[in-house]
Amino acid sequence: MPFSDIDAPAVNRALCQIADRPDDTADAYFERLEEIELPPQGSEPGLRTRRESGLAVRLLRDGRSWLAGRDGIDSERFGDALRRVARALPSAPYPKPDLGRNHWLDTPSAPELLDLPERFLRALQSHGPKDKLPDIGLTVRRHRRWVRVIGSHLSSSTEHEQFYSVAVQMAGGRFGNLYETLDDPAVEQMAASTARIAAARGTESPSEGRRTCVLGPAATAVLLHEGVAHALEADILARGGHPEAAIGIQMGSPELSVFDDPAGGPESVRRKADDEGYPTSRRCLLRAGVVEQPICDATWARRSDLLLPGGGRRGDRHDAPGPRSTHLDLVPGEVGTKELLADADGGLYLPEADRGRLDPMTGQLTLHFAYGRLIQDGVPGAPVGPCALHGHVADLLSRVVAVGREHRTAGAGWCAKSGILMPVWASACEIRLDDVEVFP
Amino acid sequence: MTSEILLDVLDALARRHLDEVEVFHKKGRSRTLRLEGNMPITSLRQEEGWAVRAGDGRGSFFYTASGPPRPDSPWPEPTGKPLRLPSARPVPSWTAPLDLDAPLLGENEAMHLLQGIARALAEEMPGARLVRGYLEDGASDQELASSREIAARSRQRAASLFLEARGPAQDTPSVSVLLAEREARRFLPTTVARRLADRLLLADRGEPLSRDRGDLLLSHGVVAPLLHALSPLWVGPDAPALARALGDQGRIAARGFTLVDDGRFAHGILQAPVDGEGVPTKRVVLVEEGMYRRPLVSWRQATGRLTPSGCSRRFGWRDLPTPGPTHLYLETDSTTGVGELLGSLSRGYYLLATHGSVKLEPGFKRFAVPVSGFAIEGGRPTGSISGTWLVGTVSAFLKGLVTAARDLTFSPLGGGMIGAPTLLVKGLELRHRP
Repeated sequence: MPFSDIDAPAVNRALCQIADRPDDTADAYFERLEEIELPPQGSEPGLRTRRESGLAVRLLRDGRSWLAGRDGIDSERFGDALRRVARALPSAPYPKPDLGRNHWLDTPSAPELLDLPERFLRALQSHGPKDKLPDIGLTVRRHRRWVRVIGSHLSSSTEHEQFYSVAVQMAGGRFGNLYETLDDPAVEQMAASTARIAAARGTESPSEGRRTCVLGPAATAVLLHEGVAHALEADILARGGHPEAAIGIQMGSPELSVFDDPAGGPESVRRKADDEGYPTSRRCLLRAGVVEQPICDATWARRSDLLLPGGGRRGDRHDAPGPRSTHLDLVPGEVGTKELLADADGGLYLPEADRGRLDPMTGQLTLHFAYGRLIQDGVPGAPVGPCALHGHVADLLSRVVAVGREHRTAGAGWCAKSGILMPVWASACEIRLDDVEVFP
Repeated sequence: MTSEILLDVLDALARRHLDEVEVFHKKGRSRTLRLEGNMPITSLRQEEGWAVRAGDGRGSFFYTASGPPRPDSPWPEPTGKPLRLPSARPVPSWTAPLDLDAPLLGENEAMHLLQGIARALAEEMPGARLVRGYLEDGASDQELASSREIAARSRQRAASLFLEARGPAQDTPSVSVLLAEREARRFLPTTVARRLADRLLLADRGEPLSRDRGDLLLSHGVVAPLLHALSPLWVGPDAPALARALGDQGRIAARGFTLVDDGRFAHGILQAPVDGEGVPTKRVVLVEEGMYRRPLVSWRQATGRLTPSGCSRRFGWRDLPTPGPTHLYLETDSTTGVGELLGSLSRGYYLLATHGSVKLEPGFKRFAVPVSGFAIEGGRPTGSISGTWLVGTVSAFLKGLVTAARDLTFSPLGGGMIGAPTLLVKGLELRHRP
């Protein structure tokens, strides 16, 4: 396991030299990344490998942060980063801890990617006549990441994540998703979604107006990510005032209880510690619609007795950590799909969202859907083309009238807050929202 | 002279019988300051990485890694398509700009700059405040070598400034700007603050317009996003076919419309002697006095009479080169100031900024973009507008140019710098909805 041979006590001693005031905190972040990409067929060059390793040293003092990031890991780079963030010249030279071997030795290989295009096409063909299949460009990547944080106050063991991302480009649409494995159910799901998006091309969008909408688990996950997770990130909350002021506010329907649970996500991406080395917890964001604990990293937690760290994530070693969700978990309700769709004729069934956006300053939230289905006689009927759901986040969340009982991993994707891409995961259910604004 | 280490990598791959090999190495350092919620984050980044594109007649691979190049890397097996790389071409003489050596902004300087902007903003518009500020000032060195005898080195210097501000009223949206200069010391607090204050004023007091036509003065903040959205007309081998649909005999724009891309643009942030694949950069006239001349094409896309434009951009060592504009701008030899154009407007609108992406109909027929600005009568502003869409045909935009001002200004868009002066345009419309 990478970073297991780092001399952690020596790193800790070095950090303690720069964190020389009682309230100072310093940490060293070690990171190793690998991404192997199989580009669309016919592209050159072929297999694409990206391998990175690096470190960052950070000092937190009086609400300020100093960070020095370096590509590559060795004691020289560590010592240099330490000097850059130190606020005073040291009385003695900084120690040079042994950081172990950090070169990539194994040949890049991801055989599971190579036959995916063929498996995907076979699965896609089962969803429609061959002559009506879209021309597609399939890109698949395997992502691996190892992270270890050693601080002046606490230290974590190496955390490892591995997952796959798939992006399908086709005329008039795209589909993207994250997967824990590339097993047959995953391939079937990506083919089914691609086929549905392709079939919706040229289909008329629903007219503008207020309707009942039933969201599938994947669409619910995007709504919760934008409307609950982003809205309850300490840095976003701080743009409007004190983050802790949100605690206790009724933000959504009493039907909604939502957790961020990094240790409860898909097995290959579970995290015991966040990117600042703090233990993760099953953080209750909303309990019966009431805000309980915003998502918070160490920097924001230092400013409040009510906010808990453990939600800090970093894009990479050069980026400062920030509060972000990892794995959202919606507590299931008690109703089945049939009850959710009952008395909703004329409404829309929206299985998966294309993308979403929350304007943190105005609270306006928009979710875009590549396709949907008109609810007819209590079941999803005729397909409809692209549409969007829009409203103020609190208003939208208050319109959730029921949560389904079927609970599954769905709606994983890339979050691009502040231009920094991070994978996010969710376990969600179908939900029903009454009287929400839909536009084409 | 190519570095030993790059030659060693080329040798290592030649020994594996890979006949097409390219090695790219980039080192950079940057100072960043992030200011949000009164909690400044200062960072100093030192980045280094390298990339190899290699292949033979059977397949190819792309391998990138952080740190210095390593000839003993565990290379992957080539897959997919064989690789083609450009051959070395003579590079016209080049003198690197002197300011590449200017030191990076210091920690205190960076803080004073953002604080200065915040103070100037509060003076321009009492009650207004910076919500977020992100400043980056960086320098980099890069080197490229290939089995086709390309050997190139270049250096760059760039600074970017992102700011989000909010006005005194709680219910109006925030506004943001993204600016780029070669070094951060060129950002002037009062100028930046005025720009933010103008946009906040429009967001606060602007009223939606139901529908109107008239003479429109489009600032570079509106023209540059439009030129960027029309990139498929300017870049790639399919561009001429799109352009043909816009005009007979190649006339796609008004006579005053001359569009140029120049990878060597003097004082340009991205100026360099060669592009990301080692092909010499040059000045390319895309539209000349309204006549479509040619698109930008990489060496790979250049066929027939189309010569390579030297337009393959390489954003970092992790990225493959992709064709695109470097300094794409509307050329103007105008001596007219914006004030004179404004004074000549008997009735019309002065549009300052866009507030979302440009929507283009398939086939490049019509466009729509949300804008804000001022209503003008007798050369004077009589009211503010926002929540309004500028709509029209692409052809009307290109052919409706009456005159340009002399204030050529560049904005960072889509990885390139897009430049435009303020334009007086006829034939477009303002509407409440797109």
